[in-house]
Amino acid sequence: MAVLRGAARAEEATVNTFFLAVAAAIMVNAFLCLYQGVKGPRIQDRLISINIVNTKALAVLLLVFFFVGQTEMYLDIAFVYALLNFVVTVVLSRYVETEGGIVG
Amino acid sequence: MAEAVRNGFAVLFCLTGVLFFVGATVGLLRCPDLYARLHPSTKGDTLGVCSVILGLCVYSGFTMITLKLVVVVFFLLLSSAVCGHSIGRSAFRSGVEPWHKAGVVPWPGERGES
Repeated sequence: MAVLRGAARAEEATVNTFFLAVAAAIMVNAFLCLYQGVKGPRIQDRLISINIVNTKALAVLLLVFFFVGQTEMYLDIAFVYALLNFVVTVVLSRYVETEGGIVG
Repeated sequence: MAEAVRNGFAVLFCLTGVLFFVGATVGLLRCPDLYARLHPSTKGDTLGVCSVILGLCVYSGFTMITLKLVVVVFFLLLSSAVCGHSIGRSAFRSGVEPWHKAGVVPWPGERGES
């Protein structure tokens, strides 16, 4: 029984390390998307890039929380981050739409 | 045994999420236009993050954590579509022309241009 429990614990540690590896892979993707945000000729291109990087950052945040272990109190931070992503994108695109003229 | 199956499903869902994230990145970098770029950034990224969160749900079992994760997924499914629509409408109303191949007649737009 004790041997089985020890094996389960070892497997759990392996899965936690796997979560960290997944977070690293997503982070590489986010940096590649950031290149598009620097390059993009219009402000809407940059908005798309910001949106996608924020979504990936949310995934990285959740994976790192599961790696660290104390998940319950950190999940609210993830929810607030998703909310912030939504508000930033909608408000900025509305601003560009109504004010106009800011292209570049 | 149940532990191993659960961890295996969690790993599988996380790998699916990474696959969709890579697809979203490739689409964002390779598409020629703003309107074309909106497509991978809205759908691929949402599906990727939902898949990763599903993997985390399977990993954590029936707890309060799973409930919160499901709430986050629900909010993401709502907000991502609204964000994509908002950016696209902003681009269209501020006069961004859709991309078309050289030599192909573009679709006549709403503003009366051909």
